[in-house]
Amino acid sequence: MSAYNRREFIKAVAATSSVSALSFPSLAQTKAAARVVVIGGGYAGATAAKYVKLLDNKIDVTLIEPNKTYVSCPLSNEVIVGHRDIKTIEYSYDGLKKRGVNVLHDLVTGVDRAKKMVTTQEGKKLPYDALVMSPGIDFLYDQIEGYSEKLVEQFPHAWKAGPQTLQLKKQLEAMPDGGVFVIVVPRAPFRCPPGPYERASLVANYFKHHGKNKSKVIIMDANDSHSKKGLFNQGWAKLYGWEKEGLGTKGMIEWVKGAEGGLVTKLDAKTKTVSSDFVEVKADVLNIIPAHKAGRIAFEAGLVGTEGNNFEKGWCKVEPMTMASALDPDVYTVGDACVAGEMPLYGNPGAAFDMPKSAHIAITQAKVAAAAIVARLSGLKPPEPYFVNTCYSMVGDDYGISVAHLYRVIDGKFKYIPAGSGVSMINMPDKSPVPPIYRKLEAEYVDGWIRNVLADAFA
Amino acid sequence: MQRGVMFALAAASFMLAGVSVAADNIEGLARTCNNCHGFNGVSAGGAMPSIAGLPEAYLKNIMTEWKTGKRASANMTRLISGYTDDEIAGLAQYFSKLPWVPVAQKTDPKLVERGRQATQSCAGCHGPTGKAVMPGTPNLNGQLAKYIELELRKYKDEAFAMPSMMMRMAVKPIKDEDIPAIAEFYASQK
Repeated sequence: MSAYNRREFIKAVAATSSVSALSFPSLAQTKAAARVVVIGGGYAGATAAKYVKLLDNKIDVTLIEPNKTYVSCPLSNEVIVGHRDIKTIEYSYDGLKKRGVNVLHDLVTGVDRAKKMVTTQEGKKLPYDALVMSPGIDFLYDQIEGYSEKLVEQFPHAWKAGPQTLQLKKQLEAMPDGGVFVIVVPRAPFRCPPGPYERASLVANYFKHHGKNKSKVIIMDANDSHSKKGLFNQGWAKLYGWEKEGLGTKGMIEWVKGAEGGLVTKLDAKTKTVSSDFVEVKADVLNIIPAHKAGRIAFEAGLVGTEGNNFEKGWCKVEPMTMASALDPDVYTVGDACVAGEMPLYGNPGAAFDMPKSAHIAITQAKVAAAAIVARLSGLKPPEPYFVNTCYSMVGDDYGISVAHLYRVIDGKFKYIPAGSGVSMINMPDKSPVPPIYRKLEAEYVDGWIRNVLADAFA
Repeated sequence: MQRGVMFALAAASFMLAGVSVAADNIEGLARTCNNCHGFNGVSAGGAMPSIAGLPEAYLKNIMTEWKTGKRASANMTRLISGYTDDEIAGLAQYFSKLPWVPVAQKTDPKLVERGRQATQSCAGCHGPTGKAVMPGTPNLNGQLAKYIELELRKYKDEAFAMPSMMMRMAVKPIKDEDIPAIAEFYASQK
């Protein structure tokens, strides 16, 4: 039995939105079996499917996802360094099936928005009243000379969890002491903004625990700043001998910003050497994270911005109240493929503003979309949306940090709410150091978080 | 969940919508709490506490103490500070109306027994099995073990501001090595 009662939900929505009680008679006209199709079974897609079904059990919900098991990208860095088994971040689609979602393990080959029809590789044709587009991301393999998709096994990105995660783990384990682990970070926006720096932290932690103290992690960053920078630097100083930015510095982790040669433009695959305009770095393990764009099917469906800056071109723009595509009111674009929100972008103040591409915010976007879809299919205005993000990063043993974001929609626009946002304290308000219990607590919350977000989306 | 509960839940949100809560969509806001605190406020594990079915005054007080800086937190202060007082009141009311659901957890019978002994002085408020007997006191039966453990460590850590003098006093005599046992005991209770 679903957790929400449809009639009551709709009554609540009607009472809280500006629709008057007079519109209740329109409930009677609700289509008996409205159809919602969800493309992509990641955090956003799974959540959207689940919550549409919960809010209105009568809606026919189909989720299309090629993979039979989902592997979470969040916390896959812990798998790379052996802190966690990959099984702990896997989830099946059985929970969604039990809730009455039709789960189709198939690949979407076409979206006809005029006819409101989705077609799949296996020849299925699925009409929809509302479509949830949550294809995640695809990579731009052509931004680095000498690099191509064929090289991803040799130089794993491990930025989509699964075999790539295990491949990078294998390479890390095989690396001798004194080796150099290079992480190539693409220009923003990319999914999991603090992910590369957490990865660097955990790899350094691995070195410490495995007698590889002469090894180094070098982060070649296309950007000039990054998520949780102050907190990472503080943690690196405490745990890994960090002193300052730049190549050839002391400590296990070196961070090279874009303006100082971090923007990698060339790869020599034979010698595992990456180079930029100013510097050249030879790696033992080379982890190239390619630049991102919205997932393929979003492009094919014509839902992707074709001009503007990095945050507009290649991504799906949405309506703040509902997460509906700015280009099609029947399509709701949620998760990493969309560009939503307003936020000062790290070191990139002139750029557009974007909600971070995180699992947590993807889930809240999907809940907003689900409520908006159910309201609309019932002829009602969408309820007030809330967008919340929490993103934890592990810096070392018993050492976790986080960032939180809250967004509201004010005057029809996404509004970043600083009072409900921010990173973990760097110092206490009286400037004294943060007691260790704070970092320990956040390290513990990491495990609690993954269990709950996976269950919220998939169970 | 039981059907009757659903109605109660939906009715609660409807009522809320009817009264003068500034927030338009408490149920929608509450759904964002599910991300960490579990579906309908029942935690799926780890250090995240279940929040469904806890006393309204207790929930409201904690959130308010975070917002006003009286109570320390590693992260909740940041999120809660973005919510209006009405939203905080609405969330407290919403989650308090949901049923308390003890979460089944793997526990070690030896530790559970040791925990039972170590919690006798807690029973006056939290009840002999964690089912609270004093109004405004949170249930602990089937609360998440990791959460209870960390909560006790917060109370014992002078560097972490926990305003409840009663709890600070109550926790003081507890030995560090009994903390995991106490957590397991309550977690094991139905």
